[in-house]
Amino acid sequence: MEYDIRKLTDYLWELPQTGGMRVPARIYATEKMLPQILSDNAPQQAANVAHLPGIVKASLAMPDIHWGYGFPIGGVAAFDLDQGVISPGGVGYDINCGVRLVASKLSREQVAPRMRELVNQLFRDVPTGVGAAGALSVPVQELRRVAEEGARWAFEHGFGSESDLEHIEENGCIAGADPAQVSQRAWERGREQLGTLGSGNHFLEVGYVTEIYDEEATQALGLALNQITVIIHCGSRGFGYQICSDYLDVMDRAVKKYGIALPDRQLACAPVNSSEGQNYLGAMRCAINYAFANRQVIAHHTRKAFEKVLGMSAADTGLRTIYEVAHNIAKFETHTVDGSEMRLCVHRKGATRAFAPRCEEVPFEYQAVGQPVLIPGDMGRYSYVLTGTAKAMEETFGSTCHGAGRAMSRVKAKKLAAGRNIIREMEAKGIIIRGQSRRTVDEEISEAYKDVSNVVDACALAGISRKVAQLKPLGCIKG
Amino acid sequence: MAVGTNCIGCEGSAIAVKSILTCGHAEETGPDWLEFLDHTADAGILVQAPDLKDLFARAAWGMFSLVTDLDTVRLVERSRIRIEASDRLALMVNWLSELNYRHVTEHRLFGKFAIVEICEKWLSAEVHGERFDPARHKVFREIKAVTFHDLRLQRDDQGWKAQIIFDL
Repeated sequence: MEYDIRKLTDYLWELPQTGGMRVPARIYATEKMLPQILSDNAPQQAANVAHLPGIVKASLAMPDIHWGYGFPIGGVAAFDLDQGVISPGGVGYDINCGVRLVASKLSREQVAPRMRELVNQLFRDVPTGVGAAGALSVPVQELRRVAEEGARWAFEHGFGSESDLEHIEENGCIAGADPAQVSQRAWERGREQLGTLGSGNHFLEVGYVTEIYDEEATQALGLALNQITVIIHCGSRGFGYQICSDYLDVMDRAVKKYGIALPDRQLACAPVNSSEGQNYLGAMRCAINYAFANRQVIAHHTRKAFEKVLGMSAADTGLRTIYEVAHNIAKFETHTVDGSEMRLCVHRKGATRAFAPRCEEVPFEYQAVGQPVLIPGDMGRYSYVLTGTAKAMEETFGSTCHGAGRAMSRVKAKKLAAGRNIIREMEAKGIIIRGQSRRTVDEEISEAYKDVSNVVDACALAGISRKVAQLKPLGCIKG
Repeated sequence: MAVGTNCIGCEGSAIAVKSILTCGHAEETGPDWLEFLDHTADAGILVQAPDLKDLFARAAWGMFSLVTDLDTVRLVERSRIRIEASDRLALMVNWLSELNYRHVTEHRLFGKFAIVEICEKWLSAEVHGERFDPARHKVFREIKAVTFHDLRLQRDDQGWKAQIIFDL
């Protein structure tokens, strides 16, 4: 596809405002990444988002931008609460898909010899999906409380600690959830999936800190070289998928009702203040809370698996939540636009909140360094810990990238893995993998993903986040 | 290949994995009427069939072949399903979404699909399969949603074609 793209800085590119666009589209990337980004229609999708009513400043894309349903993945779009819209396509099917980083008191040397046992235990204790034993079966009446209370519900039912809640975006519970706006189908899909990872690119990874880029921030976060860490990447499961599907249909009708002109039907949306918009917000927030509870339960099972395999107490393993971020979400936030404060509905689809030092939303002990951001890579390479910056507050509504993004389809990945034993190859590299099947693992091979370090470096160079530490995997379970 | 006429075990527009295997078409890549689309972020299928009944049945088979190894699914239970929709495209989405919903919430796997009657806005079907058994079944992936993205149903000289993209 041909784009009229203009260079704003070495790390920021613009598709100027033309036709029905209300604002320009801006893409964060290095010059080297640009040809690959421009090779698919994700930049066009970013330009399409710029057509939506009430969009403020620019339709933004992070360096990990790639094709998504309607909105690109890696997209950030903020809307005025009075004139603007809310769109399920701007959040994604997996509402509040996110990442929790847990750190321990353990060193690589203590855990590595027991890694196979640990991965097997985690695979038993953290169910991955359909029909898996070990998931919580929650009656619909109780599920309503999960939808309203989020991670706090899990904590009050014996999963994890109060300290976990203080280290989750929104403290693990977003206000304004309205269970009355959730369909029976969504409740049914969510009933037996609490505490499960799901499939696709979701995973639970045990790793260790391999590089430190920012001494002050690693100290504030309590990270050190060689320290064992855990990353939990999953979302709101079938509950959220169903809510998204239900409201795509509602919004499709709302577009006609409110006479909203769209360049692509998949951008279906409704005014934030309309009944359709409010109903979606109420239902989406239920899914946000479900995902917070889901990761809280999984983190609890992870702690128990460590204690069992290593024969240690909770105090000795010392597994504590460093932070948890959401990367598929829409939230009301206050930002400064053209010198004045505005209340906005910020959509982040495959993008992470990255608030600066001294923002009130940042936990007390991270006030000096900024909000931690967790960027998972693929199962064979590395993941990154970043922090938010003042520049992100100025330019991206306090947002940064979310991950690597696939470089090739599952069909291609499977072909590439044909005749190879990926699990054994990973073992040779010192990484123990357990998946539902070889097929699942083959589709997720390292080579199928872009190198996440390029994405992270582009964000750091653009100044929208700071690099803090690199983590490498030792063991991983895949759905 | 005319599934349902020259395969052992197929009747009418039923698609049964056993019969397709008997015909030697269920390779790693699937039978010759089924193609897996090369879509970077998600997964899609392209299905061909002589008529609309077979098209809907084969689409369901194609979707479940993404979910599990259909060779392991025993056809011991039968359910009747009726689906309604505002148009034919929505009928395809609702049909596949209903099967995925039953798979997830009832822990069932389906391996044989027969469309009994089909019109523009509704269909009735009989599906065969069994309860998920972790000892015998692998679930490769979950389908988050059947999407309207690039959804196509087309008629040509050969019969019908459908393209369906799933969000994974």
